Amino acid sequence: MASASTAPPELASKAEEGAAVAPAAEDMGSRADMLYEECAKRPEGTTFFQRDLTGMQIARDLNELLNLVGDLSNRHLLKPLQFEGEPCWKLRPKDIADKLRRLVPDERLLYQHIDNAHTEGVWSKALRAKTNLAQPTVTKYLKSLESKDLIQAVMSVKTPNRKMYLLKHLKPSEDVAGGPWQNEGDFDSALIEVAAKVVANKVEHDTCIRVSAGWNNYTSSDRQAVIAHKKAQTKSMPDIEDALPVQPYHPPTDSGASRLVHRSNPGYPTTITLAKYLNETGLLRGKTVRESDMEQLLEMLVLEGTLENVSASTFRTVIPPINQKFNGFVDAPCGNCPVFDLCSDEGPITARTCAYFAEWLETTSEEP
Amino acid sequence: MSYTQRATPVFAQLCTFLVQDIHGDLPARVLNVLERRGRQRSSELKQSSYLNRIQIGHGLVVLAQQHLVFHSPSTEPTTFYEPDWCQCYDLVRVGKIAAFVEERFGQKASNVISNLLTLGHTSLADLLDAYFPSSQQGDGLTNTSTGVAASGDKDTVTSADELYDIVHTLMEHGWVIQASEAQYLSPEDLYNFAQQQALQEHFGGSFPTGTKDKDKLSQLVMANKRRIRDAWLELPNSSSSSRKRKANAADCDPCARQRLNDGQYASIKNCRHSPEDDLVIRVNPEKTAVAMRTHHLVGLVEQLIGSTTARLYEIILRSLEKNIPRCFEDYSDPAPANMEDQPQWEPNLDHIVNTRDIAQQAKIHGLDICNGLDPHAVARIAKTTSNGKGVLAQPVDHTTLSFHQREELVEGHMQLLVDHPLHFTTWHARGQYRVDFDLMAKHLIQHEIEDTLLAKHGVNGRKLVRALLRKGKLEERSVCNTLMASAATVRKVVNDLALQGYVETQEVPKVDRREAKLSNHLVWYDIQRARERLLHDTYKAQLRILQRINFEQEKAKELLNKANRTDVAGNESKYLKQSELQDLKKCQEVVEKLYLQLQRQDDLVAVLRDYCGPFLTA
Repeated sequence: MASASTAPPELASKAEEGAAVAPAAEDMGSRADMLYEECAKRPEGTTFFQRDLTGMQIARDLNELLNLVGDLSNRHLLKPLQFEGEPCWKLRPKDIADKLRRLVPDERLLYQHIDNAHTEGVWSKALRAKTNLAQPTVTKYLKSLESKDLIQAVMSVKTPNRKMYLLKHLKPSEDVAGGPWQNEGDFDSALIEVAAKVVANKVEHDTCIRVSAGWNNYTSSDRQAVIAHKKAQTKSMPDIEDALPVQPYHPPTDSGASRLVHRSNPGYPTTITLAKYLNETGLLRGKTVRESDMEQLLEMLVLEGTLENVSASTFRTVIPPINQKFNGFVDAPCGNCPVFDLCSDEGPITARTCAYFAEWLETTSEEP
Repeated sequence: MSYTQRATPVFAQLCTFLVQDIHGDLPARVLNVLERRGRQRSSELKQSSYLNRIQIGHGLVVLAQQHLVFHSPSTEPTTFYEPDWCQCYDLVRVGKIAAFVEERFGQKASNVISNLLTLGHTSLADLLDAYFPSSQQGDGLTNTSTGVAASGDKDTVTSADELYDIVHTLMEHGWVIQASEAQYLSPEDLYNFAQQQALQEHFGGSFPTGTKDKDKLSQLVMANKRRIRDAWLELPNSSSSSRKRKANAADCDPCARQRLNDGQYASIKNCRHSPEDDLVIRVNPEKTAVAMRTHHLVGLVEQLIGSTTARLYEIILRSLEKNIPRCFEDYSDPAPANMEDQPQWEPNLDHIVNTRDIAQQAKIHGLDICNGLDPHAVARIAKTTSNGKGVLAQPVDHTTLSFHQREELVEGHMQLLVDHPLHFTTWHARGQYRVDFDLMAKHLIQHEIEDTLLAKHGVNGRKLVRALLRKGKLEERSVCNTLMASAATVRKVVNDLALQGYVETQEVPKVDRREAKLSNHLVWYDIQRARERLLHDTYKAQLRILQRINFEQEKAKELLNKANRTDVAGNESKYLKQSELQDLKKCQEVVEKLYLQLQRQDDLVAVLRDYCGPFLTA
């Protein structure tokens, strides 16, 4: 990673020296522009080393190259950096360079520190400590930088009461802004709900099949059914060791409603396929869901009880219970009683004076 | 002390209530004294209560007959009494036991088992006498003591051989066991007894000193306990097989049975003095939990997967039940100190079923095994086609399928059971599946806790506990991230649950002073703690229900007294006014509703307490 610094001292001094002895200043200016244009042809964000710049064959010799680079650096068009002790440069867009030229030195110092923080951003208090400026000055210049559209302030997700500053054109990192699920430092519950619904539908479609009531409309051939029934009876009668002599009552399974059934050999969706699917729907405008984001969402859905893990990274739908039953404890008044812990054998709250029992049983209780 | 025998005041009070409900005031009062004073001699009991010697004697006899108290071994000069809370609690299951036996072995067996439950332990001869009173007793006294009706009803036992046969079957399946004096030993006495035995046999009567020998001793003690307990399950081998054969022969030929019935008196005379008659039997309390587990699991499968699969699962579990005398081993060997010595986990080979057998059974029961499966799979197996919506082109009648096809369909259902996160079954070998009860028990407990929290605190409560179970101790921010919820929401749920004792919070300061802002706030969840908490709450709720039943009956006391009069009972519509009839009906409904809820709470207690031992967390 290239670490930013001011231009390497010996190179910078040489550059100044070179500028002093320059024969034709206007020629130099146009050649510097040519170098800038040449560099701008490379992919955005490329780091240029000395060998790259000489390779462009714009400067005739090393001295001239130093002059050109010095000139561009002074005009803030090149950002001097250092990589493993070797000087290198990055291009700056012209409009930003223009704005930078008009800054006062303190502003520029602040800008440099903010620039160094990259996408992580830097806290205003940390800036003050680094620059040794007074708080009002820092606030003032930060405001002016913000108004010039050079930097932006973001609320940190990790530390919700800190304002983090970073360059305007950068996207705040995960640590600062949170993933696609977060908005202004908090979870975007509406977005999560919609995304969860879409994902859950997709998983359901992939792993389950809705079976309508009359899917297997056979009319049982009477004779055989009767024989089978007879057989079952005679078989189960004498031998009480064979279980189930009495069939417990069950409501008819084909009650007219369609049911959800797991597919027999589905291709289980994984984190990656689901992330891809969600991105393709274009539901989250401008945001992309990475695998780790999707993992977070899916894990939440598993905890919620919408999905269940088949293996570590494959999922399927939980079939909703046919009739949701809780246990005997919570179905009785005691399970949900707000004063359960205060209820005792004697005193104002007892089983005899309980208002909830009275309501549940539709009887009356004793007055406490 | 044994894990299940630990009694909190609420539990003890609940048990006393149950004893009072079923066996009356006197035993309940004696039990109450035992609860307050702990282990007592009968003379001390007299001192610490207002009861006299005779009353205490009567109370203790009832309690002892029903195995509701422990007493010290008869070899010792003085007898100490101690309440047996588990057995007391099991009184709530009396109705369930009869129902389970009826489902499995029919009405007659159920009749026998309810008589056994009423009698406590009884010798076979006494039981026989109760059913078929001998002439010495005289006709006027017939059965009044037990309330057994020996009429020619098809639901009651008609011959001595039939009774023997039923008892034999019940013993074979472990529902009925031999009564023995060791059953009266409290956990402490049993431990001492087993330890004495081990010391006598292996260490010459003196305590060993070395670590290795001490380990060996504790192992021997457990082995002795197991041996003592397993002896109760043994079938009397003397003449039972021959008796069984005879009974079978009689079964095959109705005429022969008829003749036997005619000559009933003689046949009873014949077996009067067989050694088997001295056998003292009682109901096996541990087996009830096994049947309750089956019932619970089947209910769960029905709710979570589907009813057809549930029926198949019922067939599986019932076929295994015979091999399962109890839900978990209470006297397992102590775990070795270092991890390396721990025995490797091995699947229990008793818990394996064949798809072949299940398919056969399903056919006998006339189960439509096509239901509840993916129609495409059914179509593939039945060699027909289905459209995109899963409607079969040619409907498949399950009675016409070939055996191989049924087996494949059953495999499909088994796959549903295997794939479920609760792992109702596990694949063992080709065509064989295993039920891992021990692994499932923990999931079942967790499931109940989650259900409770879902009902009490909504989705967020359940989500929090699930997250903590999966990830362990979490800091507030990571809780937010996992739940994808704002800190405010999370804090509310954490507070609610912490207040009720389901999760715990912990504050770890980051600096040397304790300040909320500069501390890590951790949340954690321990299944064992939550389990005990819920169990305790359930006991308390059960107690409240019993108290409410008393209250409701008290309110309608006059009416109930009138309705219970011997001349009114059975002729209510004749003697009671219209309004009284309505009130009576209402009161009965209310009490019934409360009893039903008591039973449902007992199901929860069984899940939390009876299916596996305590979880040890480091």
